[in-house]
This record gives sequence, C-alpha cells and structure tokens, in this order.
Amino acid sequence: MTEQFEPRIVGFLCNWCSYAGADLAGTSKLKIPSSLTPIRVMCSSRIDPVLILTALLQGADGVLIAGCHPGDCHYNEGNYYARRRFAVLKKVVDSLGLESDRLCLSWVSASEGQRFAEVVNEFNEKIKKMGQNPMKKKML
Amino acid sequence: MNEIQSNLDILVIGAGITGIESSLMLSKSDRKVHLIEKTSYTGGMAIKFEEVFANMECSTCMVAPLQQELLQNKNINLLTLAEVEDVEGCFGNFTVKIHKKARYVDMKNCIGCNACFEPCPVHLKNEFEECLSERKAIYTPFAGALPNAPMIDTKHCLRFNGKDCRACQEACMFEAIDFNQKDEHIQLTIGAIIVATGYTPFDCREIPQYGYGKINNVFTAFEFERLYASNGPTDGKILLKNGKIPKSAAIIHCVGRDNKGYCSSVCCMYSLKFNHYLTSKIPGIKISEFYTDLCIPGKSHQKFYEKIKKMGTMLIRASDIEITEQGEEIAIKYIDVGGKKNSITVDMVILTSAIVPKDDAEKLAKILGITIDEYGFFKEQNQNASSVVTSKPGVFIVGCSQGPKNIQESISQAGAAVGKILSTH
Amino acid sequence: MNRKIGVYICECGPNIAEKIDIDKVIEAVTSLNDIVTVERYKLLCSEAGKNYLTEQIKKHSLTHLVVAACSPRDHQLTFMEVCENAKINPYLFQLANIREQCAWVTDNKEEATKKAIRLTKAAIARVRCHSPLEKKEIESNPDILIIGGGIAGIEASLQLAHSNRKIYLVEKNSFLGGLIKNFEKKYPEMQPCSASILQKIETIKKISNIKIFTDSEVQEILGFFGNFEVKVKNKKEKDIESFNVGAVVFATGSSLFDINKNPQYGYGKFDNVLTSLEFEQMNLSKKIVLKNNKTPKSVAIIYCVGRTDKGYCSEICCMYSIKFVRYLKDNIPDIKIVNFYSDLCIPGKSHQKFYEQTQGENIDFIRAENIDITKKGEQLNISYDDETNRKKNCIVDMVILSPALEPSVDAAKLAEFTGVPLGDGDFFAEEHEKLNPVSTSTQGVFIAGCAQGPKSISDTIIQAEAVTGKILSSLIPGKKIEPEVKVSQISESFCIGCKTCLDICSYGAITFDEMNKISVVNEVICRGCGNCVAACPSGAITLKHFTFNQIYEELKEAVQ
Repeated sequence: MTEQFEPRIVGFLCNWCSYAGADLAGTSKLKIPSSLTPIRVMCSSRIDPVLILTALLQGADGVLIAGCHPGDCHYNEGNYYARRRFAVLKKVVDSLGLESDRLCLSWVSASEGQRFAEVVNEFNEKIKKMGQNPMKKKML
Repeated sequence: MNEIQSNLDILVIGAGITGIESSLMLSKSDRKVHLIEKTSYTGGMAIKFEEVFANMECSTCMVAPLQQELLQNKNINLLTLAEVEDVEGCFGNFTVKIHKKARYVDMKNCIGCNACFEPCPVHLKNEFEECLSERKAIYTPFAGALPNAPMIDTKHCLRFNGKDCRACQEACMFEAIDFNQKDEHIQLTIGAIIVATGYTPFDCREIPQYGYGKINNVFTAFEFERLYASNGPTDGKILLKNGKIPKSAAIIHCVGRDNKGYCSSVCCMYSLKFNHYLTSKIPGIKISEFYTDLCIPGKSHQKFYEKIKKMGTMLIRASDIEITEQGEEIAIKYIDVGGKKNSITVDMVILTSAIVPKDDAEKLAKILGITIDEYGFFKEQNQNASSVVTSKPGVFIVGCSQGPKNIQESISQAGAAVGKILSTH
Repeated sequence: MNRKIGVYICECGPNIAEKIDIDKVIEAVTSLNDIVTVERYKLLCSEAGKNYLTEQIKKHSLTHLVVAACSPRDHQLTFMEVCENAKINPYLFQLANIREQCAWVTDNKEEATKKAIRLTKAAIARVRCHSPLEKKEIESNPDILIIGGGIAGIEASLQLAHSNRKIYLVEKNSFLGGLIKNFEKKYPEMQPCSASILQKIETIKKISNIKIFTDSEVQEILGFFGNFEVKVKNKKEKDIESFNVGAVVFATGSSLFDINKNPQYGYGKFDNVLTSLEFEQMNLSKKIVLKNNKTPKSVAIIYCVGRTDKGYCSEICCMYSIKFVRYLKDNIPDIKIVNFYSDLCIPGKSHQKFYEQTQGENIDFIRAENIDITKKGEQLNISYDDETNRKKNCIVDMVILSPALEPSVDAAKLAEFTGVPLGDGDFFAEEHEKLNPVSTSTQGVFIAGCAQGPKSISDTIIQAEAVTGKILSSLIPGKKIEPEVKVSQISESFCIGCKTCLDICSYGAITFDEMNKISVVNEVICRGCGNCVAACPSGAITLKHFTFNQIYEELKEAVQ
C-alpha cells in the first residue's frame, strides 16, 4: 500500500515571501512533488490553528505553513505570531493523540526557489514514510 | 506675472531601488513618470544581494513587491535598455531624447517561459552572476528578473553575426522573437528629472598586491554575494574554485579607499554581513577581518557588529596588506597596530570594494547640464542645502550617483527629490 | 442568488497545454454546481484573450469568474480588470495557479493533470464563497502638524508650506532653531550654520499658512491618517488649542548623552572640561577661553563619549570634533590639539578630505582606550591606553568631550501617548529599516532627523524633505484616501471584548469601543494581514477575501 500511497499535503504560503519563492521554483523549473496543493494567504499569521486542524480532519496527510524568515515579515511580526501559535498547536495535537509530525512550519524567502523545493521534497518524503493520515481512513 | 505652462511629467533615470521608489512615490500623486533603465531588468544592485544589513532581510522579498507594483502601475512608463541622449530646456519644460535599444523580444507577446534559452547555441559568461555562470545569447540575467522577458545580445547572437540561426524564434510559441525590431529614438517632454543611476564597485585589479584576477579564491564582494545568493550560480553554496568548502576566510576592508580618497560608508557593515553569510552556511569556519577604522554609524549598526563579534570573528587592524598564493591556500601578510610584520593563511579571500561612480557618469552629467565632483559623483549645488539639488534647476540627484551611501539613505534621498518636485512644481 | 461561474483554462502556449491534459481538467469540473461554461484558450492574458473573456462574461451573463493560468503575481490584476470592465465585481474572481506551481514543477503529465484539477476545483469552491468588495473613499484633511522646531521641523514646514495647506509647528522652547542654532559653522564645507538657520526662522515667521506655537506641547493626538485631532497646550499661558490635521511629523531631534554617567572624564568636577555643545556656544560667542579668562595653549578632544553606554555610534561626533580642530586653529593658530578617538567614522564622499585637510602641525590623532581625566595644577591630565595597550598620559589646558546623541526626552512621552513605537537606542522606530525610514507603523505619522536616529544636518534636511515627499504624494488636497479593501472586520455580536486583538495589531488599527465593550477595526489603518483573525478566541474577526469559509472550501478540495 505504501508504494501506491500518494500523500495529500496542504501548503499555506504567505503571499510576500513563500508564495513568491514557490513561484520562483516554478520559473526555475525545479521539481516539486505534486502532492502539495498550495493555498495563498497574505501572511502566515492568518493561519489559525483551527484551519490547520481542519486540514488534518479533512484528511490532509501533511500541512505545511511557510512564511517569511523571522525579521522579514511584510507585516512586521506576523511570522513570529505564526511561530508561537504553531508551537502551541503542536503540543495540542500531540495531546489529542494526533501526529504533530504531520505539521511543518518553514521559512522560505522570495529568492529561495531552491529551498522551497527542498522543504517540500523533504516534507513529502517524511509524510510518505508516515503513511496515510489515520483520520482519513476513519472518515472513509 | 507671466505664467509659463509647465509640464508635470517626470523623467527618472535608473530603475534601481532608488529610482523605483522615486517613481512609485510620484505616481501616487498622479504624476506620469518615465522611468528609463540602461539594462534589461529592474532592481539595480540591491537585487543582487541575498540579504541586507542590519536586519538580514531577504533582499528579493524587499525589492520584488516594489518591482511588481512598478510593472503594474499605469502612471509609470518603464523603458528598459534605454539611455538619455540629449536634454534641452529648463525646469518645467525639458525635451529629452531617449535611445531605446531593441530587445528583439516583443514584451507584449513574451510570457517569460524561457523556452528560447535552451536551443540557443551560444554559450557566454553571465555578467550579472559576476561571470561565475553561463548564459546564452538570448537570456534573462537571472531567474526572477523583472520584467520577465529575455533580450538578445546582438554582439554574440549568431544571427546578428551573419549566420542564419533562428533557434530561439523556432522555440518561441508566442511569436515574441522579432529580429526586425529596431532601436527607437523617443522624444519626451517632461518637467523635471531625477537621476538615480547608482554606482559600480571599485575594480580590485587596480590594487595588484591583493592578487585579484591572479589568485584563485580571491573574490570580490559582488562575486561573494552571488555565491551566497540562493538564486545564484551555486544555488547559494559557498564554494572554492575547486568545488570544496572553505575552512577559513579573510575579509579585507576598505579596498580602494586610498585610491579614491573617501570612505564608502557601507563596506564595514556589509563585511559584517559577509561574516553572517559565512557562518550561517559553514558553521565553524574561521574568519579574519582586516580593517583600519570600523565605520558603523547609526542607531542599529553597532548592535549588529557586537552580534557578529560574539560569533568569534578575528578582527585585525592592519596596514600594508599583501596577498599571495601559497599552494592551495592564500597567504596574507600585513603590519599590525604595533608595527610588527605578521601573516596568516586562509582558503578564501573576499575584497570589499569601494563604491565608485559609473563609467558614464561624466557623459551623462554633460548631457544633463550638471557637474561632477572631484570623485566623479554627481555634484550637489551646495552642501549647505539639500544634497539632491544640482546646479541645474529641475535636475535632482539621488542615491549612490550622488555619493556612496546605504539603502536607507538612498531611499531618503528619493523621497527628498520627490518632495522637492511636488512642493515646487 | 443564482451563481453562474465561468471557468477558463489558459494553455499558455505549450507551457500549460503540454504539461497538463487540459481536456481532462475540463471534464472534471464541467459538471460541478453553478458551472455555466468551461473553456480552454491559447493565451488569456493577451489582448485577444482579454477581449474573449469579456465577451464570454457577457454572453453567459457570468456572475463569477475562475481562470486557471499563471501565478496571481503575474496576472491577478489583469483579470480583475477584465472583470471590472465586464461589470462583475473584481473580487468575484479567483485565479488558479496551474503554471508556476503545477505545470512547471511537475514532470509527470498525469500527476500534473490531477494536481491541476485539484487546484481548479479549489478555486471554484473558493469563488463560490466570495463576496463583492467595494473600494472605499475617505475624506482627508491636508493640514500637517510638525512637532519640533529644529532644522528638521523648519525644513519640513518651509517645503510643505508651498503646497496649499496649513502647517502647525509646535516647539517646546520659546525659540525655534533647536540645537544647531548654536553651531557657527557646518562641516565639511564650513559654511555659516547659525546665521543660516536664523534666516530660515525669519522666513518661516512671515509665511501666513505656517502657524507657530512656541513654549507649547502636544497633549493629545487622536484619530488616524487623514483625520487626526490634535490638542496643543501653551505651557506659559496654560491655554489649549484644538485643531485637525491629516498627518503628523515627529521632528523632536536629539539631546546629548548625560556625561555625569561617565565620571572618569571629570565633567562638572574640574574646570575647563566642556561638552561639545558648550564649546560650540563658546566658539559662537567668539571667546574661546579658560575659566581664568586666559587663552588655552592646548586642548584635547575626546571622541565617542558615551558610545559604550548607548551601544551605538552617533555618526557625527568624529566629523564635528574635526570641525572643532578647525574652529580652534582659526581662533588660536598656534594651539596644540590632541584628538583621542577609537575608530574614525568619516563616511561619505567629502568627509575624508575634510579630515585630511585638518591635519597639520600641532594636531595629533591618537587612538586610545580607557581614558581618565584628573586635575594637575591648573591643567588637566589625560591618562589613556594607546593602540598597543601601553599606558600613557598627556597634559592639556582644556578638554572638549564629544558625547553621543540620544533621543530628546519628548520622544518617550510622545511614543507613550501616540503608540508610535521606539526602536534601537530608543529613537522612533521607522516602518522599515531600508524602505520606509521616515514612516512609522502608524500610518500618517512620520519621523525626520535625529528623532529617527543620530545623523548629520545634511541627512536631517534630506529626511525632512523625504517626509515632504511622503506627505505630498499621499495626502493631496481635494483627493480622497483609498484604503485597503481586504481588511479585517469584527462582528459586534461575537466579540466578547477581551482585547486580545488590540496588542497584536502592528499598526494600531484596532481600538476598543468602551461604550459597547467591543473591539473595532479602523479600515483606513488595517493592512489586511489577518493576524487578529487567528488570535481572536471567539472567532469574531473575519478578514475580507480570506475568510474561514473561503480558505476552508479551498482546502477541502486540496486534500481530495
């Protein structure tokens, strides 16, 4: 089953840095696993824990949140808030008996097309090893 | 009182960060701006940097939104590959002749897919990447260049050298390649001019004892910037010429200061930034900084210096530096503060070049009817007044074309020139 | 409302067409709810493509538009404009990025096609939840309040006065001109400084649309960009004047580091130890003398006083100390001058020359550390460590200390009641270190000169002019302000008044309505990051165009 397993990863990307970095990966014709479906938001701080949990409950095998590097936020400090919320959420997810390793927070700048590709590939490999989100089976 | 009809349109020369900022500000007050740029892309020097001091913000993230806003702005007429040929008239009523070179790529049709690069048979050094990588005769200087449309280098394109090659044209699905495009001579009537032509780095070959150009692994600051750049020739890997990772590096400050007779004001800070670059990519690398006086003015810079110092960099106040090859390594001989001769060996040397005026500054000054100072920068009318005002009313100078300065100061000058124009004109 | 969604897939020449099986995408979305038509087109961003879309919208009476093509960074605005021209609200549009983030990054055509289907379905699901958004226009007041009557405030006033608006210039002292009124000359060109500022003060007094308040303090600034309400109190007459402005400039300048914090320099203890400002005043009065009225034969100038305490280099002290050498040599040609410095900071094109031309007989520059000043008879003894760490000393008649610059005391007060943050060194924090040095995170509040950080007179003038540029390009008489459309909104019924969102907003866009005990977003100030949405514990805040539902619908399709 694992060989056939094609993960579904939701990628919340901030408009200014990470979405631009993902675009650059495209312009540079780098390879990115098709498991990732990007969702553009203005700032990583918009992504509230509920959205991340919803993604897991909807059956996402992995959720990636990518924003500007610390200090680079287009809105001054949104990414710091995102980081703090993410840290708390990971604990909550663990305590609920869910797998917090299915969540990934990363910083990707507008010039880091290469890095974006690496981050997604790495995360994709990790999720592949973890297998399907058990929530998905339950829902089915 | 006689009132002469005055033209409200503005010409901005140079689409670096200072020129872009000037244009955007003017456009917000509903002025029509003609922004002309000598190269095929916008963003100037700042777009070459991976990060900027002191907050180490990603430069592309900082500049790209401005570039995008610029390209979408209906009040701004961006002319790339364009230069000023002639200026006549006076404040409120200038007639400007622009020479716009043919790109041979129709920007209306081109969608920036880059399909034309691959089939081009001509391999050339990429100047944008400080010749550390290759480009073709049809090219954009780097991935992510804006506007995202290539140009043909007619000096090397086979078709422009008597051969019947049309490889790029055949590859283009959008009929964007137009070999018949002609240079244009455009005449504009405008009210005022902002000159934002920027700078060029000091040519390190002028100081033979530093060994640049002769010794492998002696890099200029810009070469090093591109080595570190995540969209650069090594995808951001700091590598020696033999592909190995350096274990030690020396950064030489003030390269060209004695030759030029001024302190370029940014080199100390960007050297410290290089420290950060090196240690973030190569943990444990041994770094020595050779400096004379540390010039880190302003409220935020010393903090950055102290942070870097804590990372273990050796700061060596030195004079009479001489760099020679020693096998695979590089030897740096110097005289220390006590007057003693000393030396160390390193894997890599980075020369932090001074900021010097553009080669064509004098020519442009003549065309504009302004003067240059003893260093070759555009000269302000009077140092006691605003530094953006020249001896010619209606012509303003901003950024490093007026003198060496950092991005913040350049942006302030852009604002000042706009303020001058909007309040008097 | 009956939704009629049209979906258009751009081939982008071979870029999308070769990598994605567009027909399969069409097949996958055609039967979805609300879909009226699904078409492919060779290049939608071309003129022909845009015309085609316009015709299609009219032909099918579409209410919503989905385009699957390139990145929104490329052509979002292009297609929004098409919508506008075809009379659908441009926010009832969604662009699926199937080029940069699908076709160009996926080798396998089957996989790319599947992903393109997900992306297109997600865009359709999202657009169903879109609401039309309208541009707002807000009346604004073009008048300006400038706080601080030093060179920055004066330059800004003079320049803004040209532009048909009223300027209120508030100065706490009884006179204008700030610190530099005391400077006889300005480096490096050594042109008159004090005389020139006095001239400017005369000019400014004659300009009818500049109202000057001396001996006055700003007590309150309420409101937002374009509409601030200000209260100014006259400290002597105790009366308060209120008026409205559209923008505020903080030009509160700097003061000198308190040398009493560094007792090793003997300031206040020994005669003939002066601060740079005291020496400027002495020079201006043309009487450079010792306490006993004799002319000094030797002077030491100590650089970088207070630098270690402050943690930054004040940028101008090296240059003005070198200027002092000129003052001294001009007045007392055979005087001996010793400069004790640490790092010579003389950036910029003409400063090194100024330094070089200031060298000469009886002028020494010594790099020194651990300076300690004691009295030696009528004279002063300076002990120090030289470059090679050797203890040395030197005896002089007079010592001039060049202290660091620090923000004036008013800065902290202003920061407190306006909420404009202070940054490094407690100077006002600029909105962006590089790109917005004269703006603050409060829209419509600008900073100029040493209020922003230590700097020279030339750089101060530049910043004052830059503020003028910012104001003249954003606050235009007769022109309304157009705030961001995609802003946060707080539901009155869900807000529990916990105030969590207030501190989180970087822009101070959220205020608390004490009457109704709820938070309120000021749409003029909000930039639409959505941070408050994620922070709100009661789910009372929505970010327009990035609502929970819109993102939820998008992600439901993303995981299929």
